[in-house]
Amino acid sequence: MMKKMIIGKNIVKSYGNGDEQRNVLDGVSVEINEGEFVSVMGPSGSGKSTLMFSLSGMDGIDRGKIVFEGMDISAVGDNELSNIRRTKMGFVFQQPTMLKNLNILDNIILPSMRGNRKNTAKITEKARALMKRVGIAGLEKRDIIQVSGGQLQRAGICRALMNNPKIIFGDEPTGALNSKSAHEIMDIFSEINANGTACMLVTHDAKIAARTERIMFMRDGKIVSELKLPKFDGKDIDGRVETVTVKMRDIGI
Amino acid sequence: MYFRIIRNDILRSKVITLTTMIFVSAAAMLVSLAAILIINLSGALDTLMTQAKTPHFMQMHSGEIDTARLKSFAEQHKNVEEYQVVEFLGMDGSEIILGDHSLSNSVQDNGFSVQNEKFDYLLDLNGNIINVSDGELYVPVTYMKEKTTSIGEKAIINGKEFTVAGFLRDSTMNSSLSASKRFLVSSNDFAEIKDLGSIEYLIEFRLKDFSEIGEFETAYASAGLEANGPSVTYTLFKTMNAISDGMMIAVILLVSALVVTIAFMCIRFTLLAKIEDDYREIGVMKAIGLRISDIKKIYLAKYASLAAAGSILGFIFSLMFQGMLLENIRLYMGEDENTSLAVSVGLIGILLVFISIVAFVNVVLNRFRKISAAQAIRFGSSQEMKPGAKHFSLSNNNLFTTNIFLGIKDVLARKKLYATSLVVLIISAFIMIVPQNLYNTISSKSFIQYMGIGDYDLRIQTSSSAKTDDIVTLIDSDSDISRYAVLTTKTFKLKTSNESEENIKVELGDHSAFPIEYSEGSAPSRDNEIALSTINADELNKKVGDVITMVIEGKEKDLTVSGIYSDVTNGGKTAKAVFIDNSAKAMWTIVCVELYNKSLVESKVSGFSNKFDFAKTSDIDEFVSQTLGSTISSIEMASYASIVVALVITVLVTLLFMKMLVAKDRYSIVIMKAIGFTISDIRAQYFSRSVFVLIVGIFLGTLLANTLGEVLAGVLISSFGASSFNFNVNPITAYLLSPLMMIFAVLISTMIGTSGTGKIKISENIKG
Repeated sequence: MMKKMIIGKNIVKSYGNGDEQRNVLDGVSVEINEGEFVSVMGPSGSGKSTLMFSLSGMDGIDRGKIVFEGMDISAVGDNELSNIRRTKMGFVFQQPTMLKNLNILDNIILPSMRGNRKNTAKITEKARALMKRVGIAGLEKRDIIQVSGGQLQRAGICRALMNNPKIIFGDEPTGALNSKSAHEIMDIFSEINANGTACMLVTHDAKIAARTERIMFMRDGKIVSELKLPKFDGKDIDGRVETVTVKMRDIGI
Repeated sequence: MYFRIIRNDILRSKVITLTTMIFVSAAAMLVSLAAILIINLSGALDTLMTQAKTPHFMQMHSGEIDTARLKSFAEQHKNVEEYQVVEFLGMDGSEIILGDHSLSNSVQDNGFSVQNEKFDYLLDLNGNIINVSDGELYVPVTYMKEKTTSIGEKAIINGKEFTVAGFLRDSTMNSSLSASKRFLVSSNDFAEIKDLGSIEYLIEFRLKDFSEIGEFETAYASAGLEANGPSVTYTLFKTMNAISDGMMIAVILLVSALVVTIAFMCIRFTLLAKIEDDYREIGVMKAIGLRISDIKKIYLAKYASLAAAGSILGFIFSLMFQGMLLENIRLYMGEDENTSLAVSVGLIGILLVFISIVAFVNVVLNRFRKISAAQAIRFGSSQEMKPGAKHFSLSNNNLFTTNIFLGIKDVLARKKLYATSLVVLIISAFIMIVPQNLYNTISSKSFIQYMGIGDYDLRIQTSSSAKTDDIVTLIDSDSDISRYAVLTTKTFKLKTSNESEENIKVELGDHSAFPIEYSEGSAPSRDNEIALSTINADELNKKVGDVITMVIEGKEKDLTVSGIYSDVTNGGKTAKAVFIDNSAKAMWTIVCVELYNKSLVESKVSGFSNKFDFAKTSDIDEFVSQTLGSTISSIEMASYASIVVALVITVLVTLLFMKMLVAKDRYSIVIMKAIGFTISDIRAQYFSRSVFVLIVGIFLGTLLANTLGEVLAGVLISSFGASSFNFNVNPITAYLLSPLMMIFAVLISTMIGTSGTGKIKISENIKG
């Protein structure tokens, strides 16, 4: 039995007020195990990104409870949440979220540098190793506008991995990339997951979701269905995609 | 459409719009005020001097007077229109008691006159020529302002009782720069008190053609007429009357230039930030075929309406405040008849401010040309940005904490943006420090060197040369006194290059006893040497080693200029020599005294004051503070005011910039938050940005204050007669307290300005 890392219970989150109030998350319950590779699918506005923001403590919730490694993160303060995000979580977004002023290397080491400048050499060494691993060695001193979108996304993954997170959240991490780059990025996620880090991806691309081992389908703020797949071993991707699309057709997404 | 865009934009950035508008309206108000004041001052001054028929030339003279000779001179000179000799009855302040106040502490030379018959009229506060009855006393308007007395009070002049019937405007002696003040009494009363004071004559002329005043002056001097005292022309009367309000106007103009600069900086900053914010939209507008001028119009419309609102507000404020600032002009010179002209000139000033803002915005908006539609849509931000300080990277940083590093890095990477706030902070530091240094210099003991006074403890001044010997005899036998010197000031004729004559005041005596500092050369030591004050040397165009020719004991004598020194006393026009002269009458004599025991100064001063009731004994510090007292206290006030102004500017601008930055950097802030930086981390980064800019600003501002500021202050001071001016800096206030106050102001406003960072939601600002 896998150990549960994140437990979300009856999460309600709404936007707007009065008559215009709308529940983006309408009583969602979800569990993510340690080392698990999950994805969330659903049409635009179904609440999948909001779920990710809530589970990672980036966005508060209105009702319900979220427990991360035994700690109720829906009840702790901003600073505590920041610490959890920095030390236990990694994030990769659709658009590269890098600071314009810093070069690629500095952007990558940034989350590790907070209150830790004595270890700069060690941290930098680690960043270089990660960059080599994802195939962007040599771009350290480049500005973020001097590299391609795929390279920037890899740099983003390096940044997410810097503090050895327990889980990496990816919000449409391949959404802005061509399919070749997208698959290369997914290979990196698979490799990360194989090394024991849990991954949670939000996507509406069946080809991406098909590489994960559990897919949650959302619609109108609720998880309407789930699909479990065996761990991806690099084979039969087409068959897995077919399974996912059939399931989507079944539930009408 | 414009209206909606503008309204939404203003609602979204209330603080920023408000701050910018405050600066715009302050700039507009100051420009308008300066314009209104200039028109009022010149109008009121002309009215006063026309109504009073101010003399074109006035020679003050004490001593014997030959009226027949003067009369024949006036009749023979073709340019003289009218001529009169006016008696001025000087009286010691202690003999004048107005209501409950005695004028014994007054630094003015108070005296009495009767109303003139031909010109130089003394006017009441409605501008009419006063007709004074027996027993009535009209008091100079200065004493109304100082609230020394009020109408209806009893006045006792040397035992004789008068009633204060009103206040008078005196077009020749109104100004605080004029040492004398005239009280008006009836002819009968004047005759009664005539023997109780000393008579001085005012020899006055009105000319047919004022433009030939120079020739007239020469003619008067060459004729060897009465000249034991200063002479003043119409132009100088005008300057003296205008100077205190003129200085105020100059200061207002200076401050308004500063505020206009700051308003421009604010607009530039907000506009640059806004363009960066709207980069994508601008690109889209370009892409769909809008012309640059169309896009510009949207932004111009916003700033034009902001400038218009600010200008209108500024105009209203200027109308509200003008009364306060015009008070002095109205009191001393009367109402200007052209109020509508003043208001319209004020409006023109404001229109200029408005137009220059719109033009400035137009120039800044030219950046639109550089925006590539394709890049803007693809990247949503300017790609031309060249992050500065490339070598300054986090991976090489061992010096700063990460938050401080990120703050400094941001400043270095966006120099253009921060340059704006840097300029404002430099200006703030500058206007904080310069007046402070100036005050410190003028009020310091060493400033005495600019006054042409040596280092002694007390001075006894008398205008009666006969009694000088009494003083000397007593002092010579006083065992508390270590040294003394007697310096007598006399007027001599000076031959100028074009063969005419001028008067020059020369202080005779032993100048080696209490040496002063010479900016060039040294003290006169031989009979044929003379030292000149800076202003005299400049006017006569003489340098050390040059020769001047003077008439001494009826004979022409050549004197070599041995030295040049600073002197701000007696209008800055003095000279020092050692030769003996027995012919010319002494204007005054000063006995300079040094004591063995400095703690005795006070008791000695009061002792000598009692013993020599005909002389004025003063402690040298007191003398300095009395002579420069009003200047020192107004500079002191100005230095406090400028500290407040500098701090207000610092707070407002920092607040504005921080608000702008937080709004602009939303995206970077949420990235930081997402990867685990706390709100306090992020605020620490903003603090280090402002402190970094501030430190550079303080450094440059202080540097500028001590270089450019010193030069500027030197120009001001040299107009009073001091040369080779150097700031006397109080390091604790200038280099410690002032920066601390600025740091405090910046920290507080950064704290307030960045309080919004906590409210920025990651999910709303990050596109997943």
